[in-house]
Amino acid sequence: MSLINKKKIKSSLKAYLFLAPFLVAFGSMIVYPIGLGIKLSMYGQRGARMWYVGFENYTRIFNDPLFWESFKVPLFLLLVQVPVMLALGVMIAFMFETRKRSGAFYRLLYYLPYTIPGIVAGLVWSYIFSDSMSPLGPLFSLFGYTGKILTRGSVPSILLVIILWQFTGYTAFILYSSLIAIPREYAEAAQIDGAANWQIALRVKLPLLRDPLITLFIFNAIGAMQVFNEPRMLGDLVVLPPYYTPTMYIYSSAFSQGRFTYAAAMGIILAVLTCIISLYMLRTASKQILDRQH
Amino acid sequence: MRKTFVVVLLALLLSLPAYAAYYPEYTGEPTTITMWAWTSNENYSIEEFEKVYPDIKVEWEDFGVHYEKAQTALAAGSGLPDVLMVEYSFAPEYMDIGAFQPINKWLDLDTFIELYGESALGWCTMDGEVYGTPQDSGAIAFFYRQDLFDQYGLEVPVTWNDFAEQARKFRQAAPDLHFNGPPLGYALWWVGLVWQSGVKMFDYDDGNWYIDFTNPKAEEVFEFWGELIDEGTIDVEMWWNADWYNSLNQGTTATVLNGCWFAEWLRYNAPDSEGQWRVVAPPNFDPSKPHDGMLGGSGFYVTAHSQNPEAAAIFVNWLNSHPDSLRCLNTYSNLPIMVSTRYEEILDEIAIEDSFFGGQVIVDTLWEAHNLIDTTFVCLPIWSNLDSALSLLLQDYVDGKIDRFADILPKWEAEVIATMKEFGYTNTIIGELP
Repeated sequence: MSLINKKKIKSSLKAYLFLAPFLVAFGSMIVYPIGLGIKLSMYGQRGARMWYVGFENYTRIFNDPLFWESFKVPLFLLLVQVPVMLALGVMIAFMFETRKRSGAFYRLLYYLPYTIPGIVAGLVWSYIFSDSMSPLGPLFSLFGYTGKILTRGSVPSILLVIILWQFTGYTAFILYSSLIAIPREYAEAAQIDGAANWQIALRVKLPLLRDPLITLFIFNAIGAMQVFNEPRMLGDLVVLPPYYTPTMYIYSSAFSQGRFTYAAAMGIILAVLTCIISLYMLRTASKQILDRQH
Repeated sequence: MRKTFVVVLLALLLSLPAYAAYYPEYTGEPTTITMWAWTSNENYSIEEFEKVYPDIKVEWEDFGVHYEKAQTALAAGSGLPDVLMVEYSFAPEYMDIGAFQPINKWLDLDTFIELYGESALGWCTMDGEVYGTPQDSGAIAFFYRQDLFDQYGLEVPVTWNDFAEQARKFRQAAPDLHFNGPPLGYALWWVGLVWQSGVKMFDYDDGNWYIDFTNPKAEEVFEFWGELIDEGTIDVEMWWNADWYNSLNQGTTATVLNGCWFAEWLRYNAPDSEGQWRVVAPPNFDPSKPHDGMLGGSGFYVTAHSQNPEAAAIFVNWLNSHPDSLRCLNTYSNLPIMVSTRYEEILDEIAIEDSFFGGQVIVDTLWEAHNLIDTTFVCLPIWSNLDSALSLLLQDYVDGKIDRFADILPKWEAEVIATMKEFGYTNTIIGELP
């Protein structure tokens, strides 16, 4: 009996030894900060002075219209930018597939914007849409429009342009790599059955892209919920409220208004909401797959 | 000849003990202190300082505007440098929440007053304790483009009525250009112009915060700007971005009201406009009683996290009052006006013609403007909240959600009172000033 126990302990010790590098990093970089964030969110704070307030920060968030208003832009991106980008990504991926060998240059070209940090892209695009430097100004004035391009009202559409520019190539690239992993036999079989190329693409290959599409959808949904860099940079040229997006509101609450603990509570709510949205997508998507298999 | 020599020698001998009293000896162990500051080329002053105080080394770090970093260190309870540069408008918040420690242990209050003047020292003092020393002045000045003034036959305004008249004339003559664009946001500017007219909107005295945005004088200032903005004579503009600098560089904006330090900003951000700008003291409501206020300017404070406050105190005092340092700050950091009373000692040698301003001796003009400031008031300890509240209200006005510009003032006051309450300030007195 005791021998077995000893063996067991020994083997699990070994396992933990192998796990240690991960566990240390995971514990100190993920679990501990989350725990600290939760603890912080239960305090009131002014400078170095802190006092326990329980769930007061959370009840305040639920009564804070600004926090909920800040979800307008992420929701817009979730409902417009994400589907548009996935559709564009699929189209480009199919185009990539038709030129597997010679298309490397174009794949690189489409991928390039993704390698530019969001803050830099935001800065450059804000200049492209600015009053005094915009190369679009003369173009627009050809069509009789001479007003400002960058206004508070046009920011969501400009965000759409920037984010599509940044991530569509990357999305297409991921989808392309899934496409070339599909066994050639499927397409050949369909071809023998008399399917046209577009039919093969839509009826055979597209359904097989479902899994990467779900993954991409979830990543982009998370990205939309946490959008920060681009509106932050545009905010230098047009007044955007500090609660323009949830992350901007959290940032300004903590670092410019000195409400660190309130910001911590908002961060946790945002994380929970993002989790719920991702889980919901995953559940409904996998349910559909299961339904189909039955 | 000999007689003058003796007199000079005597004067020197007499003045030595007085100056020595300004800069006490350092009694501690050799040490290194750290400083965060965004003034450029501060190292020249530091070099001079280390010659006089070889036992104190100063490590200077420039993180740009470091409030976010400082707020984080403060909330964490450690990590602030020994010396922190803070704008006067933010200083009360830091003093109030315990970010600084008093330095009047090493130099008495009277000496501080002698070196910086009572009103300037007010930005570094709370409840009788001195926490730092003021560096540069933010005396408001009126910057204008001589080329545009000549072209359109405009006159430099002496009163605010003149200002409005010239603005209307200019809008008619050149509807695409801007006479003056008040900032969209930037509470310092709006508070500064109220101060310039000789009143306050808030203050601190004897442990109480006073809030009175809607006093008749402050209302008069907002009514004045409101009228010009409502009728479309001038437009509020977003400041500090590339579009704004371009408008100054290319001559689409004719005038700017800003702190005197803006002379340097213009030089670096609007280089093509060299020779076109001039500067004068700002217009007044009553020209027989000219007055000025401040817009910006920073002090250097000793933080609560400092392990060697004595060395830090000696340094901030030397940095901001010794003529050797002030000379460096003027020459290398390009600060036009320092607030120390000892600045006068080097004024003659630095007051030279400035080609960017068409040969004008701007130091003289700005020093005069600076000396029109005879009051100080402590800003509320919620500056960034006060600032963002105003930005939102101004944007609401631009978006058409507020009809009358002057209505912003009471709304702003209400927001500020609510935030003071939220942060637990029960010692707030509303509707009056001390």
